[in-house]
Amino acid sequence: MKNKAVIVAISEFTTLVQSKAFIVGLLMMPLFSGVALGVQKFTKDATDINDRRFAVVDRTGVLFAPLKAAAEEWNAAVRAQSPQSMPLYLPTEVKVEDRDDQALAALSDKVRRGEFFAFVEIPANAMDPAGGEPLRYYSNHPAYRPLPGWISATVNREIVNRRFRDAAVDRALVSRLTRRVEMSELGLLQRDTAGAIHAAPAIDKVRTIAIPVGMMMILLFSVMSGAPQLLNSVIEEKMSRISEVLIGSVTPFELMMGKLAGCVGVSLLLAVVYIIGGIIVARHFGYGDVVRGSDIAWLFLFLLMASFMFGSVFITIGAACSDLKDAQGMMPPAMLLLMLPWLTWFAVLNAPDSPMAMGLSFFPTATPFLMLLRIMLPPGPPAWQVAVSVVIMIVATFAMVYAAGKVFRTGLLMQGKAATFGEMWRWVRAN
Amino acid sequence: MPPAIRLTDVSKRFNGVAAVDALTLDVPQGSIYGFIGPNGSGKTTTLRMIMRILLPDQGRIEVLGSADTSAARDRISYLPEERGLYKKMTVRRLLRYYGQLKGRTVAELDPVIDDWMARLGMDGWGDKKIEALSKGMSQKVQFVGAVISKPDLLILDEPFSGLDPVNAEALKDAVLEIRRRGTTVVFSTHDMTTAERMCDRIFMIFRGKKVLDGTLEDIQAQYGFDTIRLRTADGAAALSEMAGVQAVNDYGQLQEVRVAGDPQAFLKALASRTAVHQFEITRPSLHDIFVRIARPGGNGGPS
Repeated sequence: MKNKAVIVAISEFTTLVQSKAFIVGLLMMPLFSGVALGVQKFTKDATDINDRRFAVVDRTGVLFAPLKAAAEEWNAAVRAQSPQSMPLYLPTEVKVEDRDDQALAALSDKVRRGEFFAFVEIPANAMDPAGGEPLRYYSNHPAYRPLPGWISATVNREIVNRRFRDAAVDRALVSRLTRRVEMSELGLLQRDTAGAIHAAPAIDKVRTIAIPVGMMMILLFSVMSGAPQLLNSVIEEKMSRISEVLIGSVTPFELMMGKLAGCVGVSLLLAVVYIIGGIIVARHFGYGDVVRGSDIAWLFLFLLMASFMFGSVFITIGAACSDLKDAQGMMPPAMLLLMLPWLTWFAVLNAPDSPMAMGLSFFPTATPFLMLLRIMLPPGPPAWQVAVSVVIMIVATFAMVYAAGKVFRTGLLMQGKAATFGEMWRWVRAN
Repeated sequence: MPPAIRLTDVSKRFNGVAAVDALTLDVPQGSIYGFIGPNGSGKTTTLRMIMRILLPDQGRIEVLGSADTSAARDRISYLPEERGLYKKMTVRRLLRYYGQLKGRTVAELDPVIDDWMARLGMDGWGDKKIEALSKGMSQKVQFVGAVISKPDLLILDEPFSGLDPVNAEALKDAVLEIRRRGTTVVFSTHDMTTAERMCDRIFMIFRGKKVLDGTLEDIQAQYGFDTIRLRTADGAAALSEMAGVQAVNDYGQLQEVRVAGDPQAFLKALASRTAVHQFEITRPSLHDIFVRIARPGGNGGPS
């Protein structure tokens, strides 16, 4: 005869994987990635290519001509594109006396009316090496960056050239003498068993950063797709009094463990699907060897713990509330715990050996995610830190399951107002 | 033979209020036992304690001969008053699930499910989702869920409430069939006629205390022949301001009256006022007894 918790787990698992939420969860990560890539591609290809007509107030009297020449060169290159992906730059020189605010206001009106996209004021002392006034770019489209960037770069290049020429210095020579020496980033040389030395491999950003981050995301999405569904499941059973029928057949602890196991099964299934999909994609791009078996083993260990831990949290909230509205009020603290690794993973990525990274990876609800990331980032944390994090996680998981069991036992049959955190704490402490 | 259920001095309080107060009760095996009582009197709390859904604050509960009622869990089935069904599940999957939780295998359950579904007129509904069922159909599914494990003790909380006469009749027949197979049936009800007709013994709880317990005859005997059931040409109007009338229960075409003094003298006085078509000295109905006990200012039990 099957253990009753197993029967509950199978039913919970089957119900969850047949739900719309699971399908959404299954598609969430590839969808997120696909949408992000798609948006990037779309925004890259869908640049605004309307002509950028702009006025130039050149008080130096010498910079407009090279600016116009550079614009024509730019426009010729743009016209050669098929399809066109950049706007044409169409400068018009406008003569304005110094401190003639009326004229500048008139130019502003022309920008407002759309006759010009912007206008730029080049001060008379712009070429002064001792420090002239800045170029002034006026526009009612402050978010549009390409045009001011191009004007600034073009005018500055011309100014620097003129300064070199005025100082009788060969610009080409200076460029050669001041050319930067590039640096390639490498791993370490390897010595094989025969003593032969193998060249250090080049650092591959995909291997060293994208894969660890991807694995952590798989863990995060798998947990987020499974654990929160327990909240709905418990509340549905409370609201429709299914829990009374179930408690007539199984103990509250068997029921809770069955539900938790079903939820963990869902998260594991999601992770398996994501990993298989990830490996297929990695192979397609020539990174088939990049995910090690030990990394996958770590992922599943951390996933198991995280699912039990967060599943317990959501079961506790469900048991303490009588409807979804009450539950929404209790969700923010739980979501904050779940979001903690999401909010901090980038800092850990940049400095995986820092005290902050170590401290965060010892915080129970962040441990599974951040320690997995640290393990996968070369050279990885010291073994003692990994061991401590595993112990912390196991202890925290057992403590949370124990506390959830206490709250679940009492809260499951309660109706009416939601329990307070104080009441839940009393239930946990009660025998 | 030990009783199917034995409650000894059982009490349960919620927020200081006694929901069940020093209740002692034996439910014989193989009987149909009716729990009656007004809303909030402690019926459901008692049933939940028998099911070990709630634990008593004091007292002892033995079910099927064991004080550890969880040990007998697979031999007891419970149908709660508010029906608990998963809306998205199909009927068959739900019934299998409930049956498996009672320790049965799918192979054992499937023929029993088919049998009960045919018996209750639900042929071909196995693949329907619960959310597609009517209220009456859902209630029947819930009932089947409670009986497919072939329990020794079946506890039904308001099994007939909300059912139309056809479905209520089908469920009544099913309950009697289960009792014939040897299952002890305990059910709570507000329908006194059902309790009178179906129950071997009736237990009434009022404000957490037992006020009635026994066969219908035992209970009625406690009240004696103090009720006159009559039908007259003028109905209840004929009883207006008649001397000796203590209480009138008017059913429109028929009145039940309690009178002080000699019933024959009352009949004589009544005949002088109106044409009497029916005059029957009888025991009070269960409904009448219930109302006498539970109405505001009621006496709380037989004198």
